Amino acid sequence: MDTKTTPIIMRALLFTVLLVAFAATAFAQTTTGTVSMSATVSKFVEFNSGGAITLSGNSGGGITTDGVVDNPLAASINLGELGPSNTNSFVTASVPLKLRSNAAYVLSMSATVTSTGSTSNKIVNTDVGFGLGSVTRSGTGVNTGGSDTNATSGDPTLAGNGSINGATGRYEYTAVKSNLSAFSASTTALNGAFILNAVPRSNTNGLTVPAMFAIKPQFYENGSTTVSVTFTVTAP
Amino acid sequence: MNLRFVISASCLCLLIACAATTISAQALDISSGGQPTITGTLGGSVTGSASVLNNLVVTINFGEVSPANTNAIVKVVVPIGIRSNQPYQVSVSLAGLGNANPQALQASDIGFGATNIRAMGNQSQVCTLSSHIFYPPFNNDPASTVTIAANGRVTYQSSLSNIAGATVILSGPRLKKTNGQNRGTNDGYIFDAIFAITPQFFAAGVSSATLTFTISAGPNVPC
Repeated sequence: MDTKTTPIIMRALLFTVLLVAFAATAFAQTTTGTVSMSATVSKFVEFNSGGAITLSGNSGGGITTDGVVDNPLAASINLGELGPSNTNSFVTASVPLKLRSNAAYVLSMSATVTSTGSTSNKIVNTDVGFGLGSVTRSGTGVNTGGSDTNATSGDPTLAGNGSINGATGRYEYTAVKSNLSAFSASTTALNGAFILNAVPRSNTNGLTVPAMFAIKPQFYENGSTTVSVTFTVTAP
Repeated sequence: MNLRFVISASCLCLLIACAATTISAQALDISSGGQPTITGTLGGSVTGSASVLNNLVVTINFGEVSPANTNAIVKVVVPIGIRSNQPYQVSVSLAGLGNANPQALQASDIGFGATNIRAMGNQSQVCTLSSHIFYPPFNNDPASTVTIAANGRVTYQSSLSNIAGATVILSGPRLKKTNGQNRGTNDGYIFDAIFAITPQFFAAGVSSATLTFTISAGPNVPC
């Protein structure tokens, strides 16, 4: 190549490079884009009233604050007269509970019993029978195949769950976790598999179970008694 | 000899110029269509560029979708910019979200639709002989098509479960007036990709998925 031709070739090459760069600019357009997504589902439990409370065998007293289905449980019950003037076998209160969860759950309970009396004849926690009744899983969206374990002995008024102590003459709830002394600290009463399938919260179905309390009228020391019960549901 | 070399170099340049022209003639582009938005979330977020000049790279965190989120629905709107100088189609493909537990979040639990195509500006091509068509079942806002199935679970007119391979969701005539390769702020169209999740009693866990939107040559329709 002579010295005149070389610059021309160099310019041509430069032009080529510029065109290639121009073409590369065209390639800078993109024909794809991405949308990445994530979502979190945490364990969820819900505890509410399962409906109206049933009080029976009472003499006086009544339901001061009733349970309202699907609302937080904050009930108050006056059991009335528990001395021998009440001739019924038992004063019982059945409190419907409703549980909902997307994970295995544990229902725990703690209870305190305080009486104004000063002797051993006052009402104490062993005098308050307790048990959870039949567990019901039904309705659209409910995990009906899930199993539950009731740690209590059920209806405390059942003959098999209590009897008169032959030595003292006092009526006692003798079955496993059949009186409130078993729940002086938070103790598991019920546990089981997840309750609801993938349904929205607007679906009001769930697991229902009655919490049953019973006191047998006896010659207790006169006075007043307060029973306070707290339920807690967790998904460990 | 030298003259021949110069002519050869010139021909090469011409060929490259033609190639560049060809590239220009086949311009297809997908980009951000603006700032994505999220509503109804508990602890979630969405990130993406507000500029239509930037690539489409969006990250959605729906946040908590158990009943702990008491909102009726978590909704995300992702504007997507598209440009072409020829008939086009937009397809979408899905990766991830393979939960074995049927009670966990599934593809059918994430509503997905595409709506609301609009011109970017005065360099957008307005065609009178063909329309931009959103393909059923995706032609909806999933937040507005929520129904409850017999088993109590929420369903949508369309969801991520309707995506099988590369599924076309939109097609139409050319989108821009010019053949220029550079993105402008006024030379294409924008449509909304909408995602929705109704908080439910899903099995606990974290789920993730990636959608890829692709623009390619579409059905040969007149402008």
